Amino acid sequence: MITRLRQRRGDPALTALALLTLGLYILFIIVPVIMSGWKSFTDENPLLAQTRFIGLANYREMTHDSTLAASLGFTLGLAAVVTLLANAAGIGFAILLNQTSLSFRVMRMLAFLPQVISGVIVGFVWRYILAEDGILNHLLTALGIIAQPISWLGTPDLAMFSVGLVATWVLTGFTTVVHLAALQSIPVEMYQAAKVDGASRWQQFRWITLRMLAPGTTISVTISLITMLKLYDIIAALTSGGPAFATQSTALYIINLAFTDDRFGYASAVAMLLLAVSAVVALSVTGLLRRREVDL
Amino acid sequence: MRHNRLLTACLAAGLALTAAGCSAASPGAASGSVTLTYLTFETPDLTASFWKNSIDNAEAKVPGLTIKDIVSPNTDRDAYAKQLQASGQFPDLLQSITPSTFAQAGLLKPYPQDWVNANFLDPMGNANKGKVYIPPTNSQIIPMVFYNKQLFARAGISGTPKTWAEFTADCAKLKAAGITPIELGGGDSFAAAMPLTGVLSVDVLGKDPNWLRERYAGKVHFTDSNVEAAVAKYRTMVANGYFEPGALSVSYADSIKDFTSGKAAMYMMGSWFLGSIPKAGAADYGSFLTPADDGSVVVPYAVGGSMAISASTPSPDKATAFAESWSLNPANLKTLIEGDGAFPLIKGKTLQDYGVDVSQVYQDSYTYVLQNNTKVSAIGWVTNDDAMPSGLNDDFYAAAQALFNSNDVAGQMAKLDSEWTTATQ
Repeated sequence: MITRLRQRRGDPALTALALLTLGLYILFIIVPVIMSGWKSFTDENPLLAQTRFIGLANYREMTHDSTLAASLGFTLGLAAVVTLLANAAGIGFAILLNQTSLSFRVMRMLAFLPQVISGVIVGFVWRYILAEDGILNHLLTALGIIAQPISWLGTPDLAMFSVGLVATWVLTGFTTVVHLAALQSIPVEMYQAAKVDGASRWQQFRWITLRMLAPGTTISVTISLITMLKLYDIIAALTSGGPAFATQSTALYIINLAFTDDRFGYASAVAMLLLAVSAVVALSVTGLLRRREVDL
Repeated sequence: MRHNRLLTACLAAGLALTAAGCSAASPGAASGSVTLTYLTFETPDLTASFWKNSIDNAEAKVPGLTIKDIVSPNTDRDAYAKQLQASGQFPDLLQSITPSTFAQAGLLKPYPQDWVNANFLDPMGNANKGKVYIPPTNSQIIPMVFYNKQLFARAGISGTPKTWAEFTADCAKLKAAGITPIELGGGDSFAAAMPLTGVLSVDVLGKDPNWLRERYAGKVHFTDSNVEAAVAKYRTMVANGYFEPGALSVSYADSIKDFTSGKAAMYMMGSWFLGSIPKAGAADYGSFLTPADDGSVVVPYAVGGSMAISASTPSPDKATAFAESWSLNPANLKTLIEGDGAFPLIKGKTLQDYGVDVSQVYQDSYTYVLQNNTKVSAIGWVTNDDAMPSGLNDDFYAAAQALFNSNDVAGQMAKLDSEWTTATQ
């Protein structure tokens, strides 16, 4: 990239920017990943001065770590379900909001709002809503839908559902905006031509909208998956990974290993595993969706 | 050429920023003055102004010392101290951390034993391997059972239960009267574990005060029948509906509100709850200890304290002088007594000496500390040699939450044994 930039005469600012970006990327992404990779072969404890190289011991331990298996299972399941729901909802909202009037512009902004709010704040707000004595239970009781409060965060299954609900709510803001941008790039002439050819609204949606949305969907699904695979803040504030670790994501487990159990080495190994899983999932899904784009 | 200049400028700026970022508290050049860092934390009672005043007062007693406080982003001081250690910024003074883990790593400097012996009622109350890393200024009972006298009376209960059988009978009476027997803020895992802490401390440590040290030695296990029997008591309380069904959705903060607004008759919580009892209605509340089967009095006890001193502080003398001054200042203890229900342990001082305004329920609770009775380590809360290994507290709390939804006492205890093994490897 830099060589190509240098080849363009009169762009010192661009070169400087590229160097700065590259430097920051190396400093804050590449170097920490390499350091984490190195630490994963050690027994590093943040409180102890001495660190030993222990080869693959941490990776061997992962094969029989039931807590890791549970957290990884929860994280992958959550990522799959939330990505699916958030993108389906995002397409729906994008179609509904694909208008130009002021009121729709305001609604678009509101749709994006959950994405802008800090995950910690989202977690605390929803914790208040979903509490035993929270707004949701009060509402459902007032409407006569339930007689007794539901323990949204107190039973493992419902707590997992609640985390999924909140994550979907947050992510839908992002998927809506991405799909809306993709929708607005579809030439109106295509719909006009389809109408002339006698295409129904469903046929227009099936053969024009969905096909033209495909590149946006690829981006949206990939980023949604990556976001969910590293989910930490919402869960930390909403359930702290409970009850009884039922909603402990792998990212939360890594933090607990490092700063509660003092096991930097093992936490780094789990982090490398999460990186590998995220890379495999993201690359596989991107590959599949890109092929779909071509097929469409 | 222009590129080179730009790069040089960028590098110079970067180096300058790095140098600025790396400059930490350090001894003064020639003046003999020193700046030390002090890890604190804020709560509704331990406010920013409390810390400022308390630091100013102690600082004034140590000429040439300036304290720079570092406020923990949450109340988990241990985790933040570990983050600071990992990034090479371990503070010189650390308020209310769990010293065992840090002391084992050689990061803390012990206090002069003569000074500790001369000033505190229970000088070895929080000692680690015979050394004191945090002045034992105060203590807590974890948990106590707080009760609402009016709700007890409404259910026809007079007096407080002395045995476990009487306790469960009272729970049954309360439930029959349509009153939730016990409030539980199970949404916060430490609060969910309070009843289990009480039962285990009384039934297991009450009979074998060295149980935790024996667990380290591998002589006893969570899967032992006496431990499982004690845990089964807690499970029976859950199964009998003595807590509200959705208790794991109730946060710790909400549980305090629920109990103080009369929504439940009892509340098993650390004695710090005394600081949350509304002054106006304090006479409506009483306290007792988790009852043992045979009615014997067992106090699940944890000696806390003020601050630890880093072993690598650039000025050990000034750090120690500051810590000693802070620890013996009655004004600091006053805030902890009134706001945090702390039971003071400074020699030669009565409650009046602190100028505190405390309720009768506080004074009644404090008598358990002053009496000569059986005090055992509150499991999961002590910071002495009975402290559980790093990370095991969370597993213990999680077991308490899991047993809210599962009958598998043996499975949960086996899991705790397994986690213990991993944590101590």
